[in-house]
Amino acid sequence: MAVDDTVPQVKKEHVLLPFLQTLNQTTLTSLYKRPSSCLSIFRLLSSLERQIILNLLWLESAITTSTLAAWVIREAKPLYDDALSTLSRLHVLPTGSGKLALNPTFKAAFRQAIAGGGSGGSFGVPAAEHKDDGRSGANTTVLDEYALERWETILHYMVSSGTDDRTRRPPEPSPGVRFLLKTSGLMQEVYGSLRISSVGFQFLLYSPHEQLWHLLLQYLHLADQRRMDLVDVLSFLFMLSTMELGREYSVQNLTKTQSAMLEDLRDYGLIWQRKQSSRRFSPTRLSTTLTSSSPPLPTKTGDSSGPQEGFIILETNYRIYAYTDNPLQTAVLNLFTSLKYRFPNLVVGSITRESVKKALMNGITADQIISYLFTHAHPNMRKNNPLLPVTVQDQIRLWELEKNRLKSREGYLYTDFASQADYELVLKYAKELDIVLWENAAKRCFFGTLEGHPIIKSFIERRSTG
Amino acid sequence: MDDHGTLLAVVLDLSPQQWHRAANDPQPLSLDAFLSQLLAFLNAHVACMHENTLAVFGAFPGKSVMLYASTDQLEPSSITVDANSYPPFKLLDTAVVTRIAAELDALDDSHDEEEVPCALVGALTKALCYVNRISATPQPTDGSQGVPPQVDPRILILSVSPDLSASYIPIMNAIFSAQKLKVTIDACQIYGGETVFLQQAAHLSGGSYLLLEHRDALLQYLTMSFLPPPSIRKILAVPTQDRIDFRAACFCHKNIVDIGYVCSVCLSIFCKPSPVCSTCRTKFPIKTLQRLNALRAPSAIDSGRPSPAPSNAPTPTATGINTHERTPSLARRTQSQQSPGAADGFPSGSGAPNRTVSSGGLPHSSAIGVHRNGRPNGS
Repeated sequence: MAVDDTVPQVKKEHVLLPFLQTLNQTTLTSLYKRPSSCLSIFRLLSSLERQIILNLLWLESAITTSTLAAWVIREAKPLYDDALSTLSRLHVLPTGSGKLALNPTFKAAFRQAIAGGGSGGSFGVPAAEHKDDGRSGANTTVLDEYALERWETILHYMVSSGTDDRTRRPPEPSPGVRFLLKTSGLMQEVYGSLRISSVGFQFLLYSPHEQLWHLLLQYLHLADQRRMDLVDVLSFLFMLSTMELGREYSVQNLTKTQSAMLEDLRDYGLIWQRKQSSRRFSPTRLSTTLTSSSPPLPTKTGDSSGPQEGFIILETNYRIYAYTDNPLQTAVLNLFTSLKYRFPNLVVGSITRESVKKALMNGITADQIISYLFTHAHPNMRKNNPLLPVTVQDQIRLWELEKNRLKSREGYLYTDFASQADYELVLKYAKELDIVLWENAAKRCFFGTLEGHPIIKSFIERRSTG
Repeated sequence: MDDHGTLLAVVLDLSPQQWHRAANDPQPLSLDAFLSQLLAFLNAHVACMHENTLAVFGAFPGKSVMLYASTDQLEPSSITVDANSYPPFKLLDTAVVTRIAAELDALDDSHDEEEVPCALVGALTKALCYVNRISATPQPTDGSQGVPPQVDPRILILSVSPDLSASYIPIMNAIFSAQKLKVTIDACQIYGGETVFLQQAAHLSGGSYLLLEHRDALLQYLTMSFLPPPSIRKILAVPTQDRIDFRAACFCHKNIVDIGYVCSVCLSIFCKPSPVCSTCRTKFPIKTLQRLNALRAPSAIDSGRPSPAPSNAPTPTATGINTHERTPSLARRTQSQQSPGAADGFPSGSGAPNRTVSSGGLPHSSAIGVHRNGRPNGS
């Protein structure tokens, strides 16, 4: 039964939610004016939080806290309290007054989203049908290829910056993207050129969905610096997520900030435009799936090399077979394996102590390697239980532990005690305060923490004077 | 709480007569008001998750129709997108409303005066077939994954009609296939009294059954009791049934019976002792028949104690229709029947007796009589 217990798959809250919780109430309330934003935020919440919102959505008056609390069983009370506090921090459901009622702005807009109506145009104004001028909007295939190409350019740029091979440099993404990568700490400037950082290495092993949100989150952090209106930025992203794939939308109703965003989002592959000055744009699959949880970058259709979901076979002898011809995937694998052969559709390598240590040095953790292998395992591997050979998993973790044999702490070494009695007295005092890190009675010395030093010092001074 | 999409199949009872009655009730609920609340509920289901899928089936008099399925993609351009509504909601609302209107218009011409029973079971069966199709076949979308998606299917029946005892056998068959498919069936009786069959459907498949008391709060009821997917129902206090009417309908007259006579060979249920089993054609010994009839006449309920069936029982020559797999649990249910109060005054079904019982056979059937207090009486 227990198939998944080998990989830590803790259900985390969405990365955007902590960011939203840092915003003040005014910003959030103006965000909640738009039905599309409400719908998107609603989808990012956990299922219990969603259910609480829906329960309260159609109520006109506030209900008491105890009424709603009676609706969950006692064992689930912690979960319920968590959900309430998340909603309260999002200012969706203010608590504290003993009564529960949804934020009126949120309630009105979300009702509008569910029941339709209103006139805000928050779901995007579709472009008028093309006149017979021979041009047509991009179809889904074009959009998918475009998004994939953009996205892989960014990732490939990051991966290849780690190698010193300057002859096979992939095309560079636009300056805007490079700036974002640098300010987000995913890459850092070394000798005038951008190099991938340890955070960047970790980033590469995320799922596409996490990667996308990670970048967008950085983009949101930048919004203030670039004097962009955060509400406009967020509501544009949320609007994109509710748009329909393969449909063209008009730019006429966008605010100034949002028009400026078009260029950035085009670089990330979130939207497609025929040309820069075009009056219409189409969202790609990257943006229309922003608020859905499971589908990872579903833009792999354009590739020829068979099933892209799951291409890795890992054997108990640490050998790894990756059925891919994608240079990006090969490059990511190269982060923690030593590759041996390369065939048109197959890359063979093995996980060695050196290759894993190299990855660990880059800041990648053992758990990340294992979860990467887990999520990209070949369908045939899925028949195994556990999915990955236990020996390999354990060994990767052991190699990580090897790295952590040494632990450094700052502190002070106390030596040259005049007598054994002095030494024992001070040591006893220090031990009572729990500030001894190491002691050696034979050499009459011990090592105390940095914080404890003033106390020990004054204690010794008091003893020696008195 | 793992988050993956769920499939909700909604079966709507759209009997015009019943909706007309519901609209003229002291607590009126017109079809229009019902539909607007229903659409809000359906939208809420779609809103919950991008991966949630939905299918809507309508039961009309003598006909059942699939009104909407989110997997059967319509042309995106078939509706005009406006900037104020989420496209999937708009698509859903338009599809459901136009299809219902078209079907109801078509009905008015043909069936005017006579009351044709509503094809609720047909719609339920279609919903099950749909669930089976979705969960059995891998999604052909993009060829991205070869494994069938985790759909977590459930069915919600919104009924306004009373029990149709003629549909007992098909509804039971539907329940058993739901059990096999691991589909939860929720049932909500919006108008009218309790229905035995829907209670059983919800109970046997692990769903909830609700008899709507305040019809004006329909949407709130639907949201609180039927919207949570099974994964979070574990932590919610969803309505459960404290009383379930387990009575079965007999195979001969389709009456709902308190005491049934069960064929010892194929386990068919009859309301009175018959010399030949109508399902498997087994002839019963005449002695047993006489004894059962004797018991039945004066005080059948209190002292009926049939003897064990003779060992030289005739072997059945034909197995009859496909009732074998499910009848054992029928018999069990008949035995463990409860709900003492609800036994009287139940409608006796509209179906006319379609089989006359010829006398003089060899009865071999053992009665499974049940006391009113719920103690099994047969052996």
